[in-house]
Amino acid sequence: MRKLQTLVAAAVAVTLLAGCGGGTASPAASGEASTAPAAGSGETLVIYTNSNGEGRGEWLTTKASEAGFKIEVVGAGGADATNKLIAEKNNPIADVAFGLNNMYFSQIKAEDVLEPYEPAWAGQVDKELGDGETYWPLVKQAILLGYNSDKFSKDAAPQDWTDLWTKDEFKDRYERVTGLGTATAQLVFAGILSRYRDDSGDLGISDEGWKQVEQYFQNGSPAVAKTDLFARIASGEVDMGQMPSSIIAEREKSFKVNVETVIPSLGVPLAVEQVALVKGTEKKEQAQKFIDWFGSADVQGAWAQQFNSMPVNKGAEAKANPEVVDFFASLKQQDIDWEFVQENMGAWVEKIELEYMT
Amino acid sequence: MSGTSARSMLRSPFVLVVGAVLTWFVAAFLVWPNLNVLIATFFPDGSFSGRAAEKLFSSQRAMKALGNSFLLAVALSITVNLVGIFIVLVTHYFRIRGSRILFLGYASTFIYGGIVLAAGYKFIYGDKGIVTSLLMKVFPDMDPGWFSGFFAVLVVMTFATTTNHMLFVASALKGIDYQTIEAARNLGASTWTILRRIVLPMLKPTLFAVTILSFLTGLGALSAPQVLGGRDFQTITPMILTFTNSPTSRDLAALLAVILGVATMLMLAVMSRLEKGGTYFSISKVSSALQKQDISNPVANVAVHAVAYLLFAVYTLPVVLIVVYSFADGAAIQTGQIALDSLTLDNYVRVLTQQSGLRPFIVSVIYSALAALIAVGGLLFVARLLQRYKNWVASVFEYLLHIPWILPSALLALGLIISYDHPNPLVGGTVLTGTTVILLIAFVTVKIPFTLRMLKASFESVNASLEEAAAIMGAKTLYVFRRILLPLVLPAASAITALNFNSMLDDYDTAIFLAHPLVQPLGLVIKANTDGAEGVQGVANTFVYTVLLMVITGVTMYLVYGRASRRGATGKRARALPPVQPMTASIPGSPVGEALDGKESAAPVR
Repeated sequence: MRKLQTLVAAAVAVTLLAGCGGGTASPAASGEASTAPAAGSGETLVIYTNSNGEGRGEWLTTKASEAGFKIEVVGAGGADATNKLIAEKNNPIADVAFGLNNMYFSQIKAEDVLEPYEPAWAGQVDKELGDGETYWPLVKQAILLGYNSDKFSKDAAPQDWTDLWTKDEFKDRYERVTGLGTATAQLVFAGILSRYRDDSGDLGISDEGWKQVEQYFQNGSPAVAKTDLFARIASGEVDMGQMPSSIIAEREKSFKVNVETVIPSLGVPLAVEQVALVKGTEKKEQAQKFIDWFGSADVQGAWAQQFNSMPVNKGAEAKANPEVVDFFASLKQQDIDWEFVQENMGAWVEKIELEYMT
Repeated sequence: MSGTSARSMLRSPFVLVVGAVLTWFVAAFLVWPNLNVLIATFFPDGSFSGRAAEKLFSSQRAMKALGNSFLLAVALSITVNLVGIFIVLVTHYFRIRGSRILFLGYASTFIYGGIVLAAGYKFIYGDKGIVTSLLMKVFPDMDPGWFSGFFAVLVVMTFATTTNHMLFVASALKGIDYQTIEAARNLGASTWTILRRIVLPMLKPTLFAVTILSFLTGLGALSAPQVLGGRDFQTITPMILTFTNSPTSRDLAALLAVILGVATMLMLAVMSRLEKGGTYFSISKVSSALQKQDISNPVANVAVHAVAYLLFAVYTLPVVLIVVYSFADGAAIQTGQIALDSLTLDNYVRVLTQQSGLRPFIVSVIYSALAALIAVGGLLFVARLLQRYKNWVASVFEYLLHIPWILPSALLALGLIISYDHPNPLVGGTVLTGTTVILLIAFVTVKIPFTLRMLKASFESVNASLEEAAAIMGAKTLYVFRRILLPLVLPAASAITALNFNSMLDDYDTAIFLAHPLVQPLGLVIKANTDGAEGVQGVANTFVYTVLLMVITGVTMYLVYGRASRRGATGKRARALPPVQPMTASIPGSPVGEALDGKESAAPVR
């Protein structure tokens, strides 16, 4: 029995020690991240983003600290970050949010979570890509239909999304999504459904439009969890599918496949990643300075160089990968009424998940 | 013995103190936040709409997926028990050659689960898998995609979720009085009769508890159907997760979750009913430790050995492959092309030399340890009371404590945020959001139902005459609890603590909403490193983190469970049964396992 007492005592001691550890770990460890004293933790900017993967978060933390900003990047998927910002609106924790696309930001803005701010670099970007008031564009991403160019010549390849299910040779040869949770999938459907806008139709879309969705799901090969589309292309399971422009070059190399993309005559949907100031932040001035710094031509140029992205800031284009810049210059942007899309996307996703996904 | 009515409870100061704390905790952290989130979900404008039900019931896909989830839950409740009881008997009851090695193999499910486990099975039995390729040489006509659909999902999940059997049923088996078995044999009972009439009935409370867990695991199935279910066998959880993430469809998610929750509660009620009135402890005055049994029939003996070793192979192959694949590059993992000379340490170097370094590991270890200890420590008292007093008050509390099983963890987290983002009298007028405490609260609450079920089952199998004797000799309630009951349930309590600890290490769903920005746990880092639209490095990182977690959970299991069972092995048993091997392992099994992979596939949203 004595053993038991010792055990309980030890457990209590461990708990208490761990409790202290939990309390003190934060300032100490954040002191490591930058050499500033722990007392400065009051000025640490909390940045929410979905664009922290593949070393982006660390790159940003390092560069920001060189420029005198102490930041803590909190990464989350686009939908998670959006929900989190909205849930915290009464007592905001984030100071700045970036990386989410225009669709997510317009949702966040509708919940009154953003503080209007015009960054110093507002004149260097196309205001149309943001809302010109609260969120401002940083990076452009094209949502594309890509195909295995070793199997299909340009002429034999599909010319538009709709070819996938209307032409027999592509049936079951394209990967279709198994969930509409991702931003990429939602943008693909924004691009397809926008063409069939009909205010008298269900959720603003004509019957013809919904039939396209039905066909898309009936004739595609369902995506496989944790198996990349490029892996499936490499193994010959499928030949084509949706992909955001920024990943293509790297995946082609990794999986040793050649992929070309389709530019439909209507154009392709663009996702534009944005930055915004969170309403109710106690470090407003510092946060504004950070936004001014982060969106500047220099930093955006360096970001583009590092991560092969397409900056919106015109001053940053020179530093970006010329191939990427050329690609976007040749790209026709699909004309999409984002307000209409944002209003309806939730309902569309729900309808598609419930009725069309098999 | 004093009565067990609601009125008699009021007379004990012990009950009053525990009751007061429990009432506050249940009200503040189980009822209030979840009520808030359900109201916000179902009455968005102050009025109720039947929209969610209408939409769901008219959706073919939702109904089919829901049906599949139920089918899987029922099927799993049966298959997991079959396999689970078999491996427990083989390792702890029958005399089988190499049972310690077998044990280590079966214990592999303790240390991993979720999407990586499903991927591991796919490497072996999938269309490009090792076993499939071998079979194709023998039967050229067979379908390479044979391992998919309901059958494949059921097989994988059955083998993946025997963790609770290995821990709790095995521990209950060790408590059986050997004299009863000997007596039965002297009266001429066969091995089979003894098993059926003596051994299994004694295991009932534990079997009921683990059956509920298997049922719950089946209902919440996520990654195995995603990887192996194919077109025909998809379950409801992915849909719940998608709808949870979309504010306009959250009512559908909540409704689906409530449907699953109600089913779980019904299952719980049925099991509680079955459990009632039985005597699940040895009533002999001097009980002795279990000795391993020979299987007398030579044919049966050979058959049992063969099946035991076959299962051993089934259990261990995926783990071996996952460890091997964690050294390969992401493209090789996904295409299934692997060459031994292409294995490098690059993946590990990349993961371990990140800027954040070991910090997230430490944060997660501290959070998980605290939450596991608090949950088990607090519920030891509660479970004891619920087992002791069987009346309506106790039942109400018991069901309230299961609330975290009803809602998905993202909704639980949202409930906590909207309830405590302003000064609230329930928590002394403080604001909890943005503090380090709120995540701890969430971790503790999420673990309550599992902890309670297993602790209660373990109290059920304590011989009541022990405490009666102590009480007659004048021992006080707390003294009886501390000196008589606690030592008896401690092995189970340690195992539960370890499982809880392990299951929270890589939590994402709760942490994403509640973590303090400066104290981010491991789950968020794993997510950032594995999500990358499922790219090349992302998939490789997933495997590396799985292996790293296997190491941590293995060490935990060794420290907590291995030592706890050795302590339990007294002199006599120590001779009969060699000291229990330190297990190389621990959790993601249980309902827990699925919660775990929930986070991996829940938010590929980018």
